[in-house]
Amino acid sequence: MSNIIKTYEPDNSLKKGYLSIFKEIFSEIRKNRWLTYQLFKRDFFAMYKQSFFGVFWALIIPLVSVGTFIILNQSGIFTFGDIEVPYPIYAVLGMAFWQLFSTGLIASSNSLVKAGSMVVKINFSKKSLVIASSGQSIISFLIQFVLVGILFACYKIVPNIAILLTPITLIPIILLMLGLGFILSLLNGVFRDIGNALSMLITFLMFLTPVLYSKPTGGILASITKYNLLYYLVSAPRELILMGKVSEWKGFIVSSIISIIIFIICLIIFHLTETRVAERI
Amino acid sequence: MNDDIAIRVEKASKKYCKLLKRSMLYGVRDIGRNALGMSSHSNKLRKGEFWAVDDVSFELKKGETLGIIGPNGSGKTTLLKMLNGIFWPDKGKITINGKVGALIEVGAGFHPLLTGRENVYVNAAILGMTKKEVDEKFDSIVGFADIGDFIDVPVKYYSSGMFVRLGFAVAVHCEPDILLVDEVLAVGDYKFQQKAFSRIENYKQKRIPTVLVSHNLHTIRFMCDKVVVLNKGKMKFIGDASRAVQTYQALAGEEISIREQFGLNKGSNLVKIKKVEIFDLNGKKRKVFHSNEGIIVNVEYFAEIKIENPIFQFGILRDDGLPCYSGNTAMKDIKIKSIEGKGSFKVKIHRLYVNSGDYVVGVIVFNKTMTAPYGADVMGDFVVVSDYPRTGKSCPAFSVDYEWMEISNG
Repeated sequence: MSNIIKTYEPDNSLKKGYLSIFKEIFSEIRKNRWLTYQLFKRDFFAMYKQSFFGVFWALIIPLVSVGTFIILNQSGIFTFGDIEVPYPIYAVLGMAFWQLFSTGLIASSNSLVKAGSMVVKINFSKKSLVIASSGQSIISFLIQFVLVGILFACYKIVPNIAILLTPITLIPIILLMLGLGFILSLLNGVFRDIGNALSMLITFLMFLTPVLYSKPTGGILASITKYNLLYYLVSAPRELILMGKVSEWKGFIVSSIISIIIFIICLIIFHLTETRVAERI
Repeated sequence: MNDDIAIRVEKASKKYCKLLKRSMLYGVRDIGRNALGMSSHSNKLRKGEFWAVDDVSFELKKGETLGIIGPNGSGKTTLLKMLNGIFWPDKGKITINGKVGALIEVGAGFHPLLTGRENVYVNAAILGMTKKEVDEKFDSIVGFADIGDFIDVPVKYYSSGMFVRLGFAVAVHCEPDILLVDEVLAVGDYKFQQKAFSRIENYKQKRIPTVLVSHNLHTIRFMCDKVVVLNKGKMKFIGDASRAVQTYQALAGEEISIREQFGLNKGSNLVKIKKVEIFDLNGKKRKVFHSNEGIIVNVEYFAEIKIENPIFQFGILRDDGLPCYSGNTAMKDIKIKSIEGKGSFKVKIHRLYVNSGDYVVGVIVFNKTMTAPYGADVMGDFVVVSDYPRTGKSCPAFSVDYEWMEISNG
């Protein structure tokens, strides 16, 4: 018999102190890698199995929204602002990064509630569940990235060599998505309002973030953008691919640090309180 | 902790809130306090809260099987979930020594669109198996589930029986150090239940400590060394199975518990069983009989409408739910023209034959094709003593006449 002694008592983690929490979290995630992968695989296959277009659904939203913006622009209702590259490339690339954040956040926020019956009946790593459900958005991102490649070929533009750095520049936005996903999935377990509000808010947020248009130079939106973490996290990887440089690198670094801090705090909160959710879900 | 002990529960309590909105508020407050490193003061009840499990303590040694019984809502499942670590006690302490495997939910995380094969891997991962373990045990899992070619068919095309069998097959291949079993055994057909039981027996032989929650008192008697009786969250009794079952029956009211076990459908309820009385063959009302005595059962009913050609049926059931025998008027070619309003019938059972135990009479009034009952009930309890003592665990059902004809030696 293996000698694992576990004790359950109120405020369990607190008694062990904050330092051991990091170790606990890390070893839990490491131990459950296979579980995370299995859950991810399940969601992935399940989503596309009874579907005709399958994974190509990932392309629909960016194509439709970019298309709409092009129509709006041609009708003179809307201007993109000052963009140095062909608009479709700029917009689809921006949408790919944005969607990585938004679909991942929505999926992870709903993950605990969606798996409700499992969460209340089986003791397994809830972190794996949250991480696995956000993995969906990474697949969608990769598919959208193929679309970006096709667009580059169409316009006969060669992306900057810095495109190879993309995986690294995406780390902050992924961490921010996961961190918020952790905390929102918890709160969604208690208040179902979170899930409903989120899908609405996220569209709203997209219009407020310069994803499909260039950075505004004046007005309220300019001041909002100045403090919009997501703007920096989307625009820096995009600029890097299109121009090979990051013009607002300070903003990007500050946003990245804030994202990492949010991620760590949210992960700790999740770890400390995940058992509380099983009783409320 | 003493290495011989698998589970130690010390004054464990868990509270729930009756009101959903308030529970949401408390939930956020608890999460907030825990996140900030403050104690959530969980040992006190707030407004609208109650103890679902209240001050329960016990120990389970390695190799023992513990049963948990109690009426619905007595906190059995909550206790089991705490043992599983799904949520933690609000008061007290639970110590678990070893890897816990739980048969609480079968087929958890099964996705209807995925094939059985794909689902086995997901489900096994959720239950804590490693890839290597699943690869090794895959054939054995499919064999146990007995679903043949269906393993490569999406689970949504499975019959409910196949679904449960596959889920159970995965669950029993976990090889835990400690096993927790909820009512899952109640699902599936007879053959499957037998298989499930022998698997748990197997665990028992391997001296794997087991906690079993069941409504089936026969199962509890048969399997458990020690039984906890819960009522309204409080521990009413802990000790040997027979006495625990008695305590439980006294709590629940025997008739209710039997009806629960049978899921007895009361039918259209147009005929109400008013009273069931048991007499000895001399017409004297009695409660305790010897197994070689006979009884007369007197049933009073009330039919609310006029019913043509009804069929009366009676049955004798043991307290753990074992149906011993039954008979009806159709079998004896007795035609009843019609009934309406108050009425009664009497059945004479020449000899009981059943062994020591507590019994009740089940009465059903059927329509003439015996497809739908007008009314049914379980009433009239009596006790049988026989020469065969009630050992608690494996008392055989019947006492028959027999003699040793020859005993030779060499």
